[in-house]
Amino acid sequence: MPSRRGIVAVLTSAALIALWAWATGPSGIISPVRFPSPPLVWEALVQVSTVGFGGATLPVHIVTSVALVIEGFLVAAGTGTVLGLAMGWDRRVAAIVNPIFQLIRPIPPLSWIPLVILWLGFDNSAKILVIWFAAFVPALINTQTGVRDIPEHLVEAAYMLGTPRWRLLWGIVIPAALPTIFTGLRLSLQASWTTLVAAELVGSFYGLGHILNEAQQSVYPGMIFVGMAAVGLFGWLTTVALAFIESRVLAWHPSVRELVSA
Amino acid sequence: MRNRALRLSASARGGLGLLGLAGFFGIWTACSVTGLVSATFLPDPVSVIARLITLLDNPYAGYTLPEHLTASFFRYGSGLLLATGIGLPLGLLMGWFRLIDDIITPVFDGLRFIAPLAWVPFAALWFGTGLGGPVLIIFTGAFPPVLIGAYRGARLIDPQLVEAARMLGTPHHRMLTEILLPDAVPSIVSGLRVAAGLGWQSLIGAELIVVSSGVGYMMVQAQSAVSTRTVMAGIIAVGLVGSAIDFLLRLGEGAVRQRYGVLGPSK
Amino acid sequence: MSEIEFNKVRRVYNASARVTVAVDDVSLTIADKEFVAIVGPSGCGKTTCLRMAAGFDFPSSGTVQVGNRAVRGPGPDRAVVFQHFALFPWMTVSANIMLGLRNAKVPRDEAEQRVVKVLELMNLQGSENAFPHQLSGGMQQRVAIARAYVLDPEVLLMDEPFGALDAQTRVVMQEELVRLARVNPRTVLFITHAVEEAVYLADRVVVMTRGPGKIKTIIPVKPIRESEAWDRKERIEDVMTEPSFVRLRTEIWRLLREEQKAPN
Repeated sequence: MPSRRGIVAVLTSAALIALWAWATGPSGIISPVRFPSPPLVWEALVQVSTVGFGGATLPVHIVTSVALVIEGFLVAAGTGTVLGLAMGWDRRVAAIVNPIFQLIRPIPPLSWIPLVILWLGFDNSAKILVIWFAAFVPALINTQTGVRDIPEHLVEAAYMLGTPRWRLLWGIVIPAALPTIFTGLRLSLQASWTTLVAAELVGSFYGLGHILNEAQQSVYPGMIFVGMAAVGLFGWLTTVALAFIESRVLAWHPSVRELVSA
Repeated sequence: MRNRALRLSASARGGLGLLGLAGFFGIWTACSVTGLVSATFLPDPVSVIARLITLLDNPYAGYTLPEHLTASFFRYGSGLLLATGIGLPLGLLMGWFRLIDDIITPVFDGLRFIAPLAWVPFAALWFGTGLGGPVLIIFTGAFPPVLIGAYRGARLIDPQLVEAARMLGTPHHRMLTEILLPDAVPSIVSGLRVAAGLGWQSLIGAELIVVSSGVGYMMVQAQSAVSTRTVMAGIIAVGLVGSAIDFLLRLGEGAVRQRYGVLGPSK
Repeated sequence: MSEIEFNKVRRVYNASARVTVAVDDVSLTIADKEFVAIVGPSGCGKTTCLRMAAGFDFPSSGTVQVGNRAVRGPGPDRAVVFQHFALFPWMTVSANIMLGLRNAKVPRDEAEQRVVKVLELMNLQGSENAFPHQLSGGMQQRVAIARAYVLDPEVLLMDEPFGALDAQTRVVMQEELVRLARVNPRTVLFITHAVEEAVYLADRVVVMTRGPGKIKTIIPVKPIRESEAWDRKERIEDVMTEPSFVRLRTEIWRLLREEQKAPN
């Protein structure tokens, strides 16, 4: 028995698609140069999947982008959580690192792009560094908060039970902070996608951003659409993958369902 | 033993903080001054600040720094205004009326995963190099948090408050303006703060590509001309403005929360 | 030997220009295997005393010794039962109980057996694989007590353990604790607000003054309990309506009232 929300969603989507087809097609309200009609989009999709566009076929572009996002995300999340753990646990570390962090933090990650290009050119390493600037921050902040917010009595109970240092870290601190850490990871992933697309738009050989760039240069609206849809789709897929991992790792957690899956 | 329980005095914190900053700037200066890293890569801090000051009066890539910042800010403000103007009422309506929620949410969910900058080619197609392009990008960045903030504020109302209001015979219009709306305000303001940050970030991204003025544009031109000092000066300027915006909004959020008597973390 | 000895203990807090005396000159000896309850108005320092015995806090002057050794920090020899359970939410009931044993490097088989026994003891069979948030408050506290008991500690420190439970569950837990305490006595320091609870459970009841806390009076309960044979009564209601019980309770209330009304 399909839900009401499901039915409304399907109806709305169908209506929008119909509107799209009509507006760009028979009615001529929107010229296909400004906004591609469904058949034009389909054409572009077929082309990029088979013959290729912007130097390679769609799968190659997808793999390039997704691989970079995951790499960048892992590096940023890894460094962010480790430093966040240290800062959350030991106030002295936090006191030393915080001012530097507060200095760098307000700088929009994308504004590092020109500098990173000067440093590393248009290499993959440049893209990873740009992603790092963006994705590092939420991972750090949330991990630090997660550790700070561990209820004191849990830590005391662990000490009372004679828990040695390393088990305290692995078995108590990290599990306790994990829900908040995952919030940070979600934000990190989002930031990773945003910066990667930007970086690929600025300069790249392959990738979804590159498709978008080429499509813009050659004024190919159908391909722009395909590029955007691909970015959206894979952004969503990676987010779902992370959510799945989260649900497994945090199986014990009586989590609150988000109203709009933020 | 128990470093976590350690409470540092303000002076200890300050001292350690200064140590960190000194270390950071020290290493930076040492690297560039001694030539360990070439000055093209990493100019020393002092020359960057000097460059920043020069740019205040001397034009680069067409305008002085303040002029670039103004252009940027104008786009930013427009984008933010648009995002708030649409996102706020829409979010509230979605929160209050299930049907609207059901209609809009799938569309929103479909579009939100498209990174703001992925809209650039589309923006270029529709708006060329006019104002519309960057504004659209900023809109896509700032819109989701505004919408979600308003939505949450509208949805997460305590049912007992509504029941109490009904018991007291509150008419519909007053229910809206004096009960439902004020209750949503803290969440709305929280969303606005996030939107302001994301909007500023999207702006810079947009300016890297589709415009011919503004701080982002200035930085891209400087990068082509390999003027690292200018690029770094731009980064500092952008960071300072971003801080100022966040600081002001933080004050605003604090004032709102005081006024509305909100306890605990934002919804 | 595991007696708890507070010797002229004083605890002062210096928080940004304000000096708070939490505990002011407390001297108390809890004998080996004795069950002592401390009652007193809020802020009288009773929890601070427990925390010093536990090793979470240290006296500003004076000494706190357990088994003739100064307390240097927390440990499984002085097991603590917290008011808000302090169970690890990501661990099952068994894992929670097992942690102390793993830390003590108890061999796997022996550890598992001990866990099974203590689950039986605390009526928790069937809940081995449940997570804390799936259990009621009473059951969570049972797990916390099981976690402490499985260590076979010489000293048990209980900080208002039933304070977060509803009234009915509280009564059930009191009965269970009495059963455990009489059958297998150990040195217990028990903090509570509830006078009846203190009189029902303890061998002696220590009444503290308003903060800064000192010991006001110590009321012996055990001699009366034994001579009036409370433990032969089946139900807790029968004990609590006993005239001897009521007299003790009334006396302690009176002492507490004095403290509430006393000028600062």
